[in-house]
Amino acid sequence: MTQQRWWPLACLALLAAGPALGADPPAGDKDALALAAKIDTHLQAGWDAAKVKPAPAADDAEFLRRVSLHLAGRIPSVAEVRSFLRDPAPDKRVRVVERMLASPRYVTHFTNVWRAWMLPEANASFQARFLVPGFSAWLRKQLAENVTYDKMVHELLTAPVGAQQAQFVYGGNQQANPSAFYVAKEIKPENLAAATSRLFLGVRLECAQCHHHPFADWKREQFWQYAAFFSGLKRQNQGDFAVPGTEAADSKEITIPGTERVMQAKFLDGSVPKWKVKEPTRKTLADWVTSANNPYFARATVNRLWEYFLGTGICDPVDEMVGTETKPSHPELLDELAADFAAHKFDLKYLIRAITASKAYQLSGVRTHPTQDDPRLFARMPLRGLTADQLWDSVAEATGYRSGGGALPPGVFVANNGNPREAIVGKFADLTGKATEFQTTILQALSLMNGKVIEDATGLQSSEILLAIVDNPFMTTRERVETLYLATLSRLPKEKELSRMVRYVESGGAEEAKAPNDDEKQKRQAQALADVFWILLNSGEFLLKQ
Amino acid sequence: MSQSKIQNPKSKMSRRDLLRLTAAGFVGASMSGWLENMAAAAAQDPQRKRSCILLWMNGGPSQMDTFDLKPGHANGGPFKEIDTNAPGVRFSEHLPRLAKHGDKLAIIRSMKTKEADHGRATYLMRTGRPPGGPIQYPVLGSLVAKELERPDSELPGFVSIAPIRFLSPGAFGSGFLSPQYAPLIVGENAGNFVVQGQQQDAAQFLKVQDLDLPTGINAKRAAARVKMLDEMEEDFIAERPGTASVAHRAAYQRAVTMMRSEAVKAFELDKEPKELRDRYGRNLFGQGCLLARRLVERGVPFVEVTLNSVPNAQVFGWDTHQDNFNAVQKLSGVLDPAWATLLEDLKAKGLLDTTLVVWMGEFGRTPKINAQKGRDHWANSWSTVLSGGGIKGGQVVGKTSADGTTVEERPVPVSDLLATIATVLGIDPTKQNPSNVGRPIRITDPGSKPIQEVLV
Repeated sequence: MTQQRWWPLACLALLAAGPALGADPPAGDKDALALAAKIDTHLQAGWDAAKVKPAPAADDAEFLRRVSLHLAGRIPSVAEVRSFLRDPAPDKRVRVVERMLASPRYVTHFTNVWRAWMLPEANASFQARFLVPGFSAWLRKQLAENVTYDKMVHELLTAPVGAQQAQFVYGGNQQANPSAFYVAKEIKPENLAAATSRLFLGVRLECAQCHHHPFADWKREQFWQYAAFFSGLKRQNQGDFAVPGTEAADSKEITIPGTERVMQAKFLDGSVPKWKVKEPTRKTLADWVTSANNPYFARATVNRLWEYFLGTGICDPVDEMVGTETKPSHPELLDELAADFAAHKFDLKYLIRAITASKAYQLSGVRTHPTQDDPRLFARMPLRGLTADQLWDSVAEATGYRSGGGALPPGVFVANNGNPREAIVGKFADLTGKATEFQTTILQALSLMNGKVIEDATGLQSSEILLAIVDNPFMTTRERVETLYLATLSRLPKEKELSRMVRYVESGGAEEAKAPNDDEKQKRQAQALADVFWILLNSGEFLLKQ
Repeated sequence: MSQSKIQNPKSKMSRRDLLRLTAAGFVGASMSGWLENMAAAAAQDPQRKRSCILLWMNGGPSQMDTFDLKPGHANGGPFKEIDTNAPGVRFSEHLPRLAKHGDKLAIIRSMKTKEADHGRATYLMRTGRPPGGPIQYPVLGSLVAKELERPDSELPGFVSIAPIRFLSPGAFGSGFLSPQYAPLIVGENAGNFVVQGQQQDAAQFLKVQDLDLPTGINAKRAAARVKMLDEMEEDFIAERPGTASVAHRAAYQRAVTMMRSEAVKAFELDKEPKELRDRYGRNLFGQGCLLARRLVERGVPFVEVTLNSVPNAQVFGWDTHQDNFNAVQKLSGVLDPAWATLLEDLKAKGLLDTTLVVWMGEFGRTPKINAQKGRDHWANSWSTVLSGGGIKGGQVVGKTSADGTTVEERPVPVSDLLATIATVLGIDPTKQNPSNVGRPIRITDPGSKPIQEVLV
């Protein structure tokens, strides 16, 4: 059974004024800042050409919340916001990015992010959910050691997939296990061809599986030539669960199903592999995919991360970059980012430093001019839905909610099992749709308005964080409301908002009649503060990221 | 976007007034008890708007083993063809109860489309347009909800029961229409439990959770909270217009309306006679069809029920790449009683004349049987079925070749099918909606024509 409690330490942190966050590491490297400047130049040119007036720069609070959701996967704590707002240092944005990249939260969060990209099956398939713990453990290891992205993908593409892996792939244990990737794709060459080309090369091939692609240049032969790299993989049939068998590691050809045509393994750019004796076929593929000379790999990666941070790919959709009518909005920028990323050994943190230091990333989400609406010009930060993990971790941060042992691993969803995390996360499960087209559903609204988690978080009997604010004799109503804004929206309220909320609380909230005595008056004010907390936790500003 | 002000045209109250009232319980209370009488009254109302129930066959059902059998041909497979109560209309032996309603069915055997990838085809069939490109097309359910939703309705105009969305998330949204026409989704993920053989009562997965106020929060406080929240949302949308902020507010407004509504009793399937529930089948799809009838009865214009995996069939939905015949027989065993009972139940409630029941998936399956006794994806010649109100039943439209691989008579593109559905529902398919790219877009493609022989 899950144990949970409302964490008193969070209350202390909430009220703490001090820096208490340790000294920041030195500011990000010069090359990354130079790349950020290149980004700015290219985007400025796009704005000038389209006569766009970009949104103003995001203020410190908006920036901190954004970067915290992107890098740590949750909103900042009250103490973090206070300390950041007070910090006069001009390079504090760069330093806060460094601190987050060095924090274990970066590893936890990007494990979720890469898991969602690489193992999207787990959101929908009961079977694939069993694969998540082992695969996440592998990702965590890569990210914790900051393994460069080329090495990480190389290891994935050459992971052993055989009878030995069959024993633990569904074990649900934490043994680091990249072969789960193959099992999630049912160990089928065609599924692996489709998934790896989308993920690592930005090429959507699978329509060419059955016929020539209707809108793209990809031919059916090319699809199967690429799939032939995975032709040695074997599957033991065990009902609904795919289980690997012994691989024929040097297999290099595949028959197109339903035909007599045998296809030899060939790279997507049309080049013929230089086979080496006794070298497994998948290793030859991995060498080509992750090479600095690969025409697609670096581009696909920078484009995907660009979309993650800015809402829309430079080439959009991000998995249809090649051979379709899709044209990049800023082709030179895409080339430069890709070249620079490869030149810096595919260091993901380097790329993140550059993008987050750019002006575009630091623009406000507030619309100040109609010309800011074209998402391909990046003239205003778009609103997006949170992932289920970001949502839960932010609710936990804002409300001080902690769940102890028995919590399910990230991404694992079991309906109606009484676990409060799952009650929310299940309703916000990622659907791989575009984050900028996110639409809150009625069921999500109901679960946040009336569900147990927010009920407890905003209940005076159950929420220590709320009690810490209500019972603090040194706080005025204004300070109480301000603290609730900092805890939820990571900013101070505007004067109009503050006066509206203070008026509501001091007039006794929903009660219209005057309170008969002081006790009743205090009780009503406490309830009204709980109402304010509820309102903030249900607001679009809390539940969407900007 | 200009949807930030959602008005309730009938009541002349602003949406906010309405919300405040409903949240406070005034509207809700005054409506208690009207419901059970409403169904009977509605059935006799000559002004009653039409409704549509879409039976969505996820994965692409095999036309060769359901509605376009080829007995005797090598492609035909082992299933026999049986007579129905309509002369000349014959289909699979595994749909025996539906065969008693052949006179209510128009089988279209000449669907011809161009997408054979699950994600792309799902988008095509549900929006009428191929995916890709900048326009976010709304799905059929959202289009119908916008045209036929009653202004005073407390339930959403589009309810999707047990959908499988991950292959094509964009095919389940309101696209460029207001998010208020996005579906209310119930029973998502429930299929996992059915597949895993946990034989719980499927109806428990079809409930709307968290409709009651939290403990200790009375209606007055709830109303005050909702009012303040809505004011915040209004300011937020003004600063950051866009799909996400507008949709957030719309979802909350819908949710609050539902919370105070009597109409949500539609989800209480245990109010139905046990015998009737048994007839539908005590599985997710059968109980979903019963829920669809209860929603239509309460004025919901568009309800879709997805039939995906059934117990002991080793395939995902109708995606029968292997073991096709065993799987289709099992799927038919769930489909047949549910669909037949739905038609009978609609008739008993006086709703059949005004309710169109559509059967389709994203594509059909290869006429040729593959080496795994399966059939693969096929868009070149396949079947859909229209049944119930507003159509001429007892007929077959179009014809495929003896081997099933080509359409020989009257090819029907998706746009014609959707134009037919719109026309039957009393919606002009040439009507235009403003889109996200600035130019107006018709409900179905220019040039699409309703299938005349199907129309009454």
